[in-house]
Amino acid sequence: MATSFRNISRRDFLKFCAGTASLLGLSEAAVPRVARALEGAAAKPPVIWLEGQDCAGCSISFINSSNPGTAEIVLDTISLRYHETLMAAAGHLSEKVLHDTIKEGGYVLVVEGSIPKADPRFCTVAGTNFVDTVKAAAANAAAVIAIGACATYGGIPRGTPSNGIGVQQAMAEGMIPQKPLINCPTCPAHPERFIGTVVYYLLYKKPPPMDADLRPLMFYDKLIHDNCERRGHFENGEFLTDWNDFNQRNYCMYLKGCKGPFTHSDCPKRRWSDGLNWCIGCSATCQGCAEPAFYTGMTPLYNKTKDIAGDGPKIETVGAVVTGAVAVGLAGHFIGQVMTGRLGSGGPPEEGGDS
Amino acid sequence: MGQRITVDPVTRIEGHLKIEVELENGKVKDAWSSGTMARGFEALLTGKDPRDASYVTSRFCGVCFSVHTMASAAALDNAFGAQVPDGGRLIRNLIMGAEYLYDHIIHFYHLTALDYLDIMAIANYSGKDKDLLAVKDKVVGLVKRGDTYPLTPRYEPDNFSVADPEIVTMAVKHYLDALKVQVTAKNMGAIFGGRVPHYQSIVVGGVTQYPDAEQIGRFKSMLDEVVAFVKNVYMQDVLLFGTGPLLPLAQLGVGGGHLNYLSYGAFPNDAEGKDLFFKPGVIKNGNLGTVEPFDHQKVTESVKYAWYKEKAPVHPFDGEQIFDLDRKDAYSFVKAPRYDDMPMEVGPLARMLIHKEPNLMGLVTNHGVKPGAVARHAARMLETVALADQMYVWLNELIEAAGKPGFKIQDTAHWEPPAAGEGAGFYEAPRGALGHWVKIKDKRIENYQAVVPSTWNASPRDEKGQRGQYEESLIGTPVPDPENPINIVRVIRSFDPCLACAVHVIHPRTNEILKFRIE
Repeated sequence: MATSFRNISRRDFLKFCAGTASLLGLSEAAVPRVARALEGAAAKPPVIWLEGQDCAGCSISFINSSNPGTAEIVLDTISLRYHETLMAAAGHLSEKVLHDTIKEGGYVLVVEGSIPKADPRFCTVAGTNFVDTVKAAAANAAAVIAIGACATYGGIPRGTPSNGIGVQQAMAEGMIPQKPLINCPTCPAHPERFIGTVVYYLLYKKPPPMDADLRPLMFYDKLIHDNCERRGHFENGEFLTDWNDFNQRNYCMYLKGCKGPFTHSDCPKRRWSDGLNWCIGCSATCQGCAEPAFYTGMTPLYNKTKDIAGDGPKIETVGAVVTGAVAVGLAGHFIGQVMTGRLGSGGPPEEGGDS
Repeated sequence: MGQRITVDPVTRIEGHLKIEVELENGKVKDAWSSGTMARGFEALLTGKDPRDASYVTSRFCGVCFSVHTMASAAALDNAFGAQVPDGGRLIRNLIMGAEYLYDHIIHFYHLTALDYLDIMAIANYSGKDKDLLAVKDKVVGLVKRGDTYPLTPRYEPDNFSVADPEIVTMAVKHYLDALKVQVTAKNMGAIFGGRVPHYQSIVVGGVTQYPDAEQIGRFKSMLDEVVAFVKNVYMQDVLLFGTGPLLPLAQLGVGGGHLNYLSYGAFPNDAEGKDLFFKPGVIKNGNLGTVEPFDHQKVTESVKYAWYKEKAPVHPFDGEQIFDLDRKDAYSFVKAPRYDDMPMEVGPLARMLIHKEPNLMGLVTNHGVKPGAVARHAARMLETVALADQMYVWLNELIEAAGKPGFKIQDTAHWEPPAAGEGAGFYEAPRGALGHWVKIKDKRIENYQAVVPSTWNASPRDEKGQRGQYEESLIGTPVPDPENPINIVRVIRSFDPCLACAVHVIHPRTNEILKFRIE
């Protein structure tokens, strides 16, 4: 029986297994189990990766994976039949692979980019509109993984005239067939969360435990605010107001519009770019890209947030609103304590200036 | 009437592109370039807080994300009246430099190299190099298991393809090495940019990341690593290919096109932005000796063959764009920008010709290399080397500036949006000239416009029937076998297309008229 890993060394293979086990939050002790599961595969599982209304950012993020590395995933772990940005084939050759793989069935379908609801002609590849392509590809898929903000919940294109929607909504509205669906949001998707999700599916042949928005709990169950490295400054009422002030460089970003208090993701722990930095780490605020409300429910991005009702983001921890820089200075500690009171309201950011 | 063939999708590019050509006697006689996807970002931005623009426009493109943020922030700087402090300018330059390093490496190795290699020649490698034998084992292993996706299927290698087993095996090893190096280059930018793709820290007035010694040290060591690859591997590979097996293709000038070149300039070396590391300029009709100054008033946009309501060509800011999906004769979502009524090529070849980069000029005079697909790869490599060297200069300037009292990274006084204003931001993306324009009313975006590199290169025809640069560059390209149009994708990929950026200005639902004027 052919196995997936015969052409790489045992040492490299175990390193790969250790990397994937760590992605899934499993201990070292689980490595042999991961190894057995992956070695047991009769052939590399086929994957079709479609790009719709996308910017290719999730693909570029995907190839930022270091452990396991991109080459190990693309050449040794999966059989990547169709991926417009990476595949050697073009034109009729790539179309043939797509159609042959769909006919074969049983593949994992990855969707990057939104599906234009306003008019299918907003995205056409090889003469077929993207709605029809996803419809055909989903029909014979074993499972669908939506990668990035656009493919999960519509992301930025949802607010454009083309009205880009995510796979979840397209399934709910009967535009495409219902299949087991896993959402890996953020803009772009994090390579480790995506690969961790793929590996979980390959190991267990089913989607991982997920929340109501179909996000794997292993990556999206906590609020950024609850694990933020700047939480201590929040508690102390120390908020960044001037990026030039050395003393403020690690202060809480709340006054600059941080959406960490109502965004579910393990960004504070996982960080980005091999752990080098992350959005709040560079004092640029979280903009809530893991949430279904992103982007139109998050704008204006750089204003401090207040809680309101409606279809905006779900606020789970922010109770009170900081009313101005003066209040911060005088009553920071008090405000910090009030803000940690848990309320169930939700809403988009406050209009107007932040001081 | 010749034979018509279509390549759709053109893969290993960013975005959705269709190329249709008409063949006669084994050569391309006519060509049509079509962008086939649109979203409508400008409409989304109307009415939003202007500061959102630098964040949102990064999502024009996930490959050249930071340059959109950069051009957008430059337009906002202009509109807000913000003066970017030296710290902000230098960190912006370093982030942008990191983007170039990653983008050019990925383009050469992962998006285009496979067009020039007969990858199965690896099976015949008979040398003893341990690393190359490992590559051979890997590829032969894939073949034996009967699953070589995504390396196959492919267009069949032709007489321009490199089939020497040692060179091919080495090139594939470099393809795999480059997969790791491009991560390092991207992550380098994340040190100051927060994460990648879609760096977070470039905002109006400067940047958000206050640099510390550890970050600067890490940036330097990662830069060392990337530059070692650029000089010892990337540069050597391009020279080896360009002056070796690909020299005939280079001397034929396949993929030359109109021979008009445009650069806006980029990477400010001073606070006023007057001294740019990449120079602005215009070259017309292949007259490489004459570089004219760039004047943005000479830019017009045509929608004659694009899915927008008919309108005479005007300066982008005077234009009205009304979306029309049923337009007769239209064949692209990409509009047709022209300079002095002429189609232009933008990108590394344009920049390096305008620079009169000595090594590129040497290839032209000493090796008979003509501007075209191969020259584009050479120019891209040469500017990568030049930029990498300059990044050390900026890094040292940052170290010096950060040690002085009053060091600043952002113009705090101009953070709040003005009641009204307008601004233009010009920059050079890795794939060419990029302009963003914003108009602000009541502290909100009244109108947002972008004319991006691939709009220039991928444009359809205009009122005069002049082809866009992709289209023109295909004329005369040899396609001896219509089933195997490998030269077509070689030519198109040499531009490093980025189609998601190229298409964005639409208002299909409201048919609202977009207007913009710049003084």
